[in-house]
Amino acid sequence: MGKVQLLLRQHVGAPCAPCVEVGADVKKGTLIATPTGLGANIFSSVYGKVTEITDDSIIIEAADEQPDEFVPIDVPADATKLDMVKAAGIVGMGGAGFPTGVKLGIDLSATEMGEMDPEINPELPADFKIEHGYILVNAAECEPGLEHNIRQIEEQCDKVIAGIKYSMEITKADKCIIAIKKKNHKAIKTLQAALANELDIIMHLMPDIYPMGEERAVVRECLGVNLTTVQLPSAARSVVLNLETICKIAEAIDEKKPCISKNLTVRGKLVGGNEAHVFMDVPVGVSVGELIERAGGIDGKYGEIIMGGAFTGKSTEMDAPITKTTGGILVTVEFPDLHGANMGLLVCACGGSEERMRELAEKMNAKVVSVARCKQAIENKPGAPLKCLRPGNCPGQVKNNMQFKKDGCEYIVIGNCSDCSNTVMASGPKMGLKVFHQTDHAMRSVGHALYRSLKVSKQVSQDIDF
Amino acid sequence: MSITAETAKAHAHDPAVLCCRAEAGITIEPANLEDPAIFDDLVDSGLLNLDGCLTIEEVLGAKLTKTCDSLAPLTVDVLDGVKAVSAPAEEEEVAEEEAAPVAAPVAPLPPHAAGGTLRIHIGEGKDINLEIPVGALGAGGAAVAEVPAGAEAVVAGAAAPAAEVEEEKVVRSLTRKHFNITEVKRGPETKIEGTTLYIREGIEAEVIADDDLVKDFHLEIITPDLYHTYSETVMDVQPIATKEGDSELGSGVTRVLDGVVMMLTGVDEGGVQIGEFGSSEGYLDENIMWGRPSCPDKGEIFIKGNIVIQEKTNMERRGPMAAHKAFDVITQEIREVMKKLDESLVADTEELKQVRRPGKKKVVIVKEIMGQGAMHDNFILPVEPVGVLGARANVDLGNVPVCVSPLEVLDGCIHALTCIGPASKEMSRHYWREPLVLEALHDPEVDLCGVVFVGSPQINAEKFYVSRRVGHTVEMMDADGAFVTTEGFGNNHIDFASHIEQIGMRGIPVVGMSYCAVQGALVVGNKYMQYMVDNNKSEAGIENEILGNNTLCQEDAIRALAMLKTAMAGEDVKAAEKKWNPNVKSTNVELIEDAYGKKIDLVGNEQELPMSEKRRLKYS
Repeated sequence: MGKVQLLLRQHVGAPCAPCVEVGADVKKGTLIATPTGLGANIFSSVYGKVTEITDDSIIIEAADEQPDEFVPIDVPADATKLDMVKAAGIVGMGGAGFPTGVKLGIDLSATEMGEMDPEINPELPADFKIEHGYILVNAAECEPGLEHNIRQIEEQCDKVIAGIKYSMEITKADKCIIAIKKKNHKAIKTLQAALANELDIIMHLMPDIYPMGEERAVVRECLGVNLTTVQLPSAARSVVLNLETICKIAEAIDEKKPCISKNLTVRGKLVGGNEAHVFMDVPVGVSVGELIERAGGIDGKYGEIIMGGAFTGKSTEMDAPITKTTGGILVTVEFPDLHGANMGLLVCACGGSEERMRELAEKMNAKVVSVARCKQAIENKPGAPLKCLRPGNCPGQVKNNMQFKKDGCEYIVIGNCSDCSNTVMASGPKMGLKVFHQTDHAMRSVGHALYRSLKVSKQVSQDIDF
Repeated sequence: MSITAETAKAHAHDPAVLCCRAEAGITIEPANLEDPAIFDDLVDSGLLNLDGCLTIEEVLGAKLTKTCDSLAPLTVDVLDGVKAVSAPAEEEEVAEEEAAPVAAPVAPLPPHAAGGTLRIHIGEGKDINLEIPVGALGAGGAAVAEVPAGAEAVVAGAAAPAAEVEEEKVVRSLTRKHFNITEVKRGPETKIEGTTLYIREGIEAEVIADDDLVKDFHLEIITPDLYHTYSETVMDVQPIATKEGDSELGSGVTRVLDGVVMMLTGVDEGGVQIGEFGSSEGYLDENIMWGRPSCPDKGEIFIKGNIVIQEKTNMERRGPMAAHKAFDVITQEIREVMKKLDESLVADTEELKQVRRPGKKKVVIVKEIMGQGAMHDNFILPVEPVGVLGARANVDLGNVPVCVSPLEVLDGCIHALTCIGPASKEMSRHYWREPLVLEALHDPEVDLCGVVFVGSPQINAEKFYVSRRVGHTVEMMDADGAFVTTEGFGNNHIDFASHIEQIGMRGIPVVGMSYCAVQGALVVGNKYMQYMVDNNKSEAGIENEILGNNTLCQEDAIRALAMLKTAMAGEDVKAAEKKWNPNVKSTNVELIEDAYGKKIDLVGNEQELPMSEKRRLKYS
């Protein structure tokens, strides 16, 4: 296994402060860093010796022997379940990294519904009320090509149900909805069987379009209300938890297990083909390169390695470590060479930042001459990541295409959702714009259809009719 | 882009087109619809076909019966529950770009006269005196009945005889005494003998000595047979005029020489033309649009001074300023001679009257002039017409609005230093015969209360500083309507738009006048810019460096007046097309000709001039 690198910041908030010295012997579950503000405990994910502590990470030389036993979290005998979640250092495993102990610190039974913006909720009756407190389980696994969430439902359904019940208990939620794409037949059947006697836990089936897993999209799909870009799910009397986070909650409470491992999907241009390699319980801090080797190694020349999903992930290097929030490692095919052609960028909340899109333009050897932003992409604070006003529902894009045309673009790169991409395609090519989607190289690498025209409905029936 | 409920209301009668894919079963709401503002471009490029398309008003609340893709026009085939329209959508035949007046088919009854009843309601008040001439009450209906159908279609509303009873009032007058010059020669002293002007030999040395920045100077007398002479860029064209006795600028008597103009041309020591966004160097006869208010008339003699200023000061304010100041040494010497001329030499006398028409719609002309610094400045209110002495530089005044009388404008209160693109720059001579001031002054249907000059500063914060002053200035005038004109294009369009906004937001209709067309298309806009007149004359709609080509001419002034009267009467002015379309102007001209029963002579453009090498290479 060699070296393991644990970043001091694997969550939303401030970096943690190390609480071990160089040379210290550590075990799986040894506390090595604690929060300095908003944050979550960080534990060693392996047996070994601390060899270096830098400004942003703790490096541990892993021992040859790696027993399964771990050091249980250190909590008093009368600790509450919420205390255990906090102590275990759990953060949002879907990628957001918000400390779960903080998120669960809410009493949904006493939480009032927030005010709904009528502009984005035109059909909502004035006296609309959400009658229950909800745990919404985000099992959308929306980033195309990833499979570890659905695999976990199929293989560890009991743990999922246990995690849900603990979360409901902690937050005093009386209902739970598991949001899952309808295409996942096996997982849905598994859940259906497990939920036969669970009257307060139901499934909501979602279409296979992007983005369904965006937090406010989950709220909208499950509860029928659109939150503004600054409203939290609590305004809809709910807490949204990623499927894997739910399981970590169960582990922390049932096994006193700290958050030291991650499930992820490695996929792409790999020796042996582009099928998904799902790795469960990978120690946090292991390098990207090591995981790619475990999946067979890169097959020849490649474009880039993406850490995370194709839409929201970033390019990474072989020696970068995985964190508590890493969900995917995608090795892509090579980029096309556009020989310096003029390119426009359509920046939105669903895809990469402008910086990421500029990186892609550069990798394609194109010259960025125009940048437009989707009308619905809202910057809540200057410099904050963009949020979509109505995730997955397009506000129209032809005006941006006209800008690109006017600015002399031959190509454009978009990072839009399924619906917006469809709109771009309705006018872009007719105007003579050649359209790339930010995820094209990744989609080609995993054998997924490219994001262009939308052929499926945004509505699916809730019947389990397969 | 999807629209809001507010936009949907404003565009109730415009076509309803889906902005994005929408699935069968949904109810159409504003968020499903594309903004009609961009349809022209989409139709032009073949992306959109609006045949059979319903209006926004009709489709809101209807149910979509079939899944349709982005940019699908909504028709009855795909909707259930289409609403009936509130009013028949009017289809006008004419297509207008700079927002032309929509002619009413017949002259409507002026609202005040309808039925012959005068109703006065006073809720609360004291010391109210009402004087209503008896004639005005009785004659109203009958007088209107005599108006031949269609005769005053465009201006019908503006001609409402509400208080037509008050007399015209002549506030002041200005007499121009014209002296004819047929020959310009050099001689031992500057003098005028008969119709011959002599300019002192060696006066060049005094021009050069006038300012350290002036490095060289040459004087040429360009007679019509020498029009095909190469010249550096024309910096200014000026009338030769002086005040008589104690007369102040804008009143009393002004003496002016006919048949001759001062022309300043120049470069810096490095040979760089003094100009920005183009320069008019080349053969004079290939680069001057004869007869424009700014320009020489064909047949006139030019006293042409070519100045060379210190290297690189062409882009500093002091360079061009020094050139103008030094060149005025010669003009001033001629002025001194003119003051002594015998009355017997006066060839013609004309009297310009500043007329106020109480009771008519009160209008004000706001003229934006350049004040960004570098070569963009103007001297305001010199002692002598287009002089230097006594004037204050626009930039030094902070570009703030300066109110002047129409006669001060026509008496040369602006000495134009600016060297913006030659085709749209207003030379000093432009103000001397400013067409909008003249038309408004002579129009019996409006009351021109004055002219406001406002500078165009370089910095945006300063632009808004001055435009807010403009708004308050016009507000306290109680004007019923305003014109905002500008020269140049691009940077100054920011404040141009802001002036219009500041006036418009006070509920005063504003007609904007600028060269725009293709190259000068507005970079900014606001909802008050609904009445625009394009000063373009060039064939291709561009700044082609032909002196005066795209400046405000009489035909533009006539259109602007007709449009402002229409707007003040509360009548419809059709919205602009997206793309510049020269046919709009001709349609408007025809409408006005029909309404007034008067032919409007249109000026020519660069196509009448011999093709210069530069124009052939750069612009054709």
